[in-house]
Amino acid sequence: MTLPDLSDYFVPTQESELIDLLGRFGERAMIVAGGTFVHGLEARGLLSEVEALIDIGRLGLGGISQDAAGVTLGATTTLAELRRADFVQTDPAFGALQDALDYPPVQIRNVGTVGGCLAASAPLYDVPAALFALDGTACVRGAGGARDIPLNEFFVGLFENALRTDEFIAAVTLPKPAARTASAFLKLETNANDLAIINVAVRITLGENGRCADSRVVIGGGVGECYVRAGSAEAALEGGKAGGELFATAAAAVAHDIEPVTDQRGSEAYRRHMAIVYTRRALERALGRMVTGGTNG
Amino acid sequence: MTLSIIGKSVPRPDARDKVTGGKGYPVNVRLPGMLHAKMLRSPYPHARILRIDTRAAEQLPGVKAVLTPADCPQRKYTTVYFVPTDAASMVRDMLVMSDTVRYAGQPVAAVAATSIEIAEQALELIEVEYEELPFVFDPEEAMQPGAPQLHEHAEHNIAVNPVMEFGDLEAGFAAADHVFEGVYETQRVHTCYMEPRVCVVDADGNGNFVVHSSMQHLFGLREKLAYVLGIPESRVRVIKPPYIGGGFGGKLDIGYIEPIAALLSVRANRPVRIEQTRYEDFISTARHPIKVYLKTGITKDGVFTARYAKSILDTGAHATHGAEVINVHGAFGFLLTYRCEHRKWEGYSVYTNNMVGGGYRGYGSPQACFAVESQIDEICDELNLDPIEFRRKNAHQPGDPHPFVQGMHLDTYAFDECLTRGAERIGYAQRTPANTDAGHIKRGVGFACQPLWVSGCLGFPDIYEHSGAIIKLNVDGTADLSTAAMDLGSGQITTLCQIAAEALGLPMEAVRITETADTTTVPFDAPSHASRVTYSAGNAVLAAANVAKERMLKVAGIMLEADAGDLEARDGRITVKGSPDISIAIADVVRRAESPFIQVTEDGPGPTTVEEKGTIIGLSSTAPAGNPSPASVGFVEVTVDTETGEVRVERAVYAHDLGKVINPNGAEGQVEGGFQQAIGYALMENLQFDENSGACLTGDFLDYKMPTAVEMPRSIESIFIESNEPTGPYGAKSLSEPCITVPAPAIANAIFNATGVRIRDLPITPEKILVALGKLPSE
Amino acid sequence: MKKLVQLNVNGDTHELAVNPDETLLGVLRNHLDLIGPKRGCDSGGCGCCTVHVDGKAVYSCMMYAVSAQDKNVVTIEGLGQNNDQGNGNGRELDPLQQAFIDAGAVQCGYCTCGVIMAAKELLDTVKNPDEDEIRHAIAGNLCRCTGYQKIVDAIKLAAAAV
Repeated sequence: MTLPDLSDYFVPTQESELIDLLGRFGERAMIVAGGTFVHGLEARGLLSEVEALIDIGRLGLGGISQDAAGVTLGATTTLAELRRADFVQTDPAFGALQDALDYPPVQIRNVGTVGGCLAASAPLYDVPAALFALDGTACVRGAGGARDIPLNEFFVGLFENALRTDEFIAAVTLPKPAARTASAFLKLETNANDLAIINVAVRITLGENGRCADSRVVIGGGVGECYVRAGSAEAALEGGKAGGELFATAAAAVAHDIEPVTDQRGSEAYRRHMAIVYTRRALERALGRMVTGGTNG
Repeated sequence: MTLSIIGKSVPRPDARDKVTGGKGYPVNVRLPGMLHAKMLRSPYPHARILRIDTRAAEQLPGVKAVLTPADCPQRKYTTVYFVPTDAASMVRDMLVMSDTVRYAGQPVAAVAATSIEIAEQALELIEVEYEELPFVFDPEEAMQPGAPQLHEHAEHNIAVNPVMEFGDLEAGFAAADHVFEGVYETQRVHTCYMEPRVCVVDADGNGNFVVHSSMQHLFGLREKLAYVLGIPESRVRVIKPPYIGGGFGGKLDIGYIEPIAALLSVRANRPVRIEQTRYEDFISTARHPIKVYLKTGITKDGVFTARYAKSILDTGAHATHGAEVINVHGAFGFLLTYRCEHRKWEGYSVYTNNMVGGGYRGYGSPQACFAVESQIDEICDELNLDPIEFRRKNAHQPGDPHPFVQGMHLDTYAFDECLTRGAERIGYAQRTPANTDAGHIKRGVGFACQPLWVSGCLGFPDIYEHSGAIIKLNVDGTADLSTAAMDLGSGQITTLCQIAAEALGLPMEAVRITETADTTTVPFDAPSHASRVTYSAGNAVLAAANVAKERMLKVAGIMLEADAGDLEARDGRITVKGSPDISIAIADVVRRAESPFIQVTEDGPGPTTVEEKGTIIGLSSTAPAGNPSPASVGFVEVTVDTETGEVRVERAVYAHDLGKVINPNGAEGQVEGGFQQAIGYALMENLQFDENSGACLTGDFLDYKMPTAVEMPRSIESIFIESNEPTGPYGAKSLSEPCITVPAPAIANAIFNATGVRIRDLPITPEKILVALGKLPSE
Repeated sequence: MKKLVQLNVNGDTHELAVNPDETLLGVLRNHLDLIGPKRGCDSGGCGCCTVHVDGKAVYSCMMYAVSAQDKNVVTIEGLGQNNDQGNGNGRELDPLQQAFIDAGAVQCGYCTCGVIMAAKELLDTVKNPDEDEIRHAIAGNLCRCTGYQKIVDAIKLAAAAV
């Protein structure tokens, strides 16, 4: 499989160079970080109009840093590097990331990047759902300067996001989680190397009284144009006593938020049912982490 | 006599090469001046080609030849390797390229160019004008009056319609206390060999062709290609690859690629290579979907009185294997499995505008076994009969006449022992009724049987069944074995070398398969299929080894001044029986036979005799003495999550009477690999197509799901029962195919035992289980 | 337009002119005659093409060759030690390669090199992996012959030998 219109492969070493290239080629440019998404599209003949591949591997956009406000993940941080980060390994608040990062096969984890999987805006991917549930923000730079786009506003549709054609993701930030926070992620797949039929990332923060003070429920896979934030489920959790009964009620509420599709991987009804079951199980998994204080729940 | 090599897990001779890169695959073949070809495929499932314009493609620099239907021979053929092309039982309805398209993806043009990229660009420049025709994807709809007709010769789109009947079916049903009816359906799945179909064909300009291909039958490819091209077979020389990257039946027929590469090679006067993409492979071959209508009469204590089945097979756009799979399905999958006086079966192999089916390990029996073995468990559940006892009671018995092969008997037949030992190992008697487990995880145990199967095809109409071998001994005490038997990966090389080594008294590492065989240098061999190689090719190797051995012992007798009949060969030496001190190295014997007539040594000139002179060599070309039946029973333990419908196979136990184990590790590998394919068949694999365009929706491994290491049970246990088949090499009969046949119904039965839910159509997806449990609305 | 790329493969440096969309797999097989990495699907679905780039297992069919510039690529041909004793057995096998032979983990062998490269990263990073770790480490590799059981056995065997 080839890219019939491809004219060149660029490896910029300055951000200004990258921005120039993006300006020059516009929608006919494709950024390559790990390259797995690009190749996935290419293999299905979806990149026939791409003229320029732009490799951002030499811009020094990798690396993970932590401060009082939270963590910053450089765009070209690989999934494998993120999986090894201390906070991912130990902090229950980041449990959803640990779960999501364990799904892709090692060959994908080693090259796939944090920025790349977000920019793909393909809800069949797992890690973005977790980043979304952790209130991540995409730090974007472009010809017009830098701006921050909360993931809540980032995903627009299948393969569509809020990036302008001259912009790229430089980093993702995750705010420092509140005390008594835990998260979890679950994916419905047919085998261990699959795109999500559905996936669910949840985060809960409990108040002093053991009641749910804050939550996020994000569902991906074939349940909408892109990732869906399940506001009805979050509303149902609000102020409730964390546990099986509340979680079942909240999970049932996701049915109001999603519009599952029917395709060869599963029917609308199946996806709806599994979104409910997995939301409940993910909430239970997160709560379990809070109780044990670790991520290995 | 104790055996030194048979029954030992000797390492594979090809393993070192394969773990360091693997030089022997056809995909590696490159010839000087070689071109690369690609095929243009129809986007429509049924159409007539009105016009093809290739002028722009021909003008593209680097394009060396273009092929359209008008350039191709219009001689109809069947693709199936293991029959003569003009066999009466087969249907000749294929063309290399036709101006009628019958499935989405059918090649309509091809280009050979100096690179794959140029060939792909050239395809974009070919203009094809189609007249779309009405299409039909469902075989039962295709049989209705008024359905689109796909082939002129096939009324109601029925390619073949075999009917077999024994006894008096109506009398059998009249004698029944209970009659059960059920409909069972299976889906289209792919063999998923890992090496794509690939070939290089070199036409020499004098009407000769040299062919490299990833295929399962050297001589079948020669015969089919010669037939298609309308030339004598000797004009086609097929080179035997040392091994191929898997086949499983999926490379048991000539593809489009070989004739197209041959025709392009003639036009370009250069070698032409075609390598399929995975998408192309997915639409090249598949196990046929079969819908089985079963009606069964039994007495109140569980004895068959009448068995009836009607099977509808979707053969796709062409009959090819569909003309034979339907028969094996009906006979070995249904009619012959158990004793029953009154039986009838009707098979319909039906044309549709779907992709063409092919061969796949089991060859029709998995579809039947799923129906038969599911229904037996349903009967037992309904009548509260013990499923083990039920099968035991209805089984063939050792010594019974072979129900298919005239004049033979089930001389070795340890089906009963398979049942007993398998049940014991898995703890079948301790199973609990459905839904015993509290909570949403339910555990269940189930099993299924393939009571009768084949070791090759002796006794089958129109199917080749003979093998040959050449064994040549070398002066260093080694032997070279040449055979046309293909190693698909399942260890044919190893098994045949073990048989030769054992027979010649050589160590395993002293026997090598030659890597230079082709259709001009080795005797005919039927394909690697039908679980036949160990038994049939093994017998041929044994025969060749015995010829060489006779000569070797004769020379040794002269050297040892002993009667050849008193000698035995073992561990590289020849010894006088009962006198272990009187012995000579095989190398010395061969050296003596190969030495100059007068050899001058330190002791002066030493003449040998004329009788000793000459290469020690053995040749055979022989059909086996029989077609003994293996027997097999597979047990599984599953867990079902009743909230999600997810099924996990936790453990598998497989008991099989294979006569004699030649290589225990290799035999286990067959079973374990069979379960991978079968668990995929049972639970997830499914080739799916767009209902409007016929385009394949599962054309890569992200969409076509098969088990990874994670979904497989942590334990697959093989129990090999050695009944010592007298006609087999060292007592062996066959193994490969029943391993893939029994797991799907065993899993279905285990799911029922876990949950009380019965699924009658494969694959048993979580969604179907949830629907059956009432947790999802049915469609 | 071709791009010049310098690739370090199995310790040797190669300067090549490649199409910008040429994959690392294509370059290894077609330019460098390294046949260990194999094309099974071209879309990251089968793992037959697995090689190491800077010590990490990757699908070489999903990586542009130009992006491997200046990186260390190791294919199955680069495993093991050069140990020519003049006896024809020039190369001492990696323990994983030997274990795959000994455990009977090789059948058709088309997946084998990729599986070994995936397992190699596991054994490079985890001392005594348990069964689940092993199975997940090779979840990106499909095998149609073995049912994975003897592959898992082989990796355990190699882990014990390392």
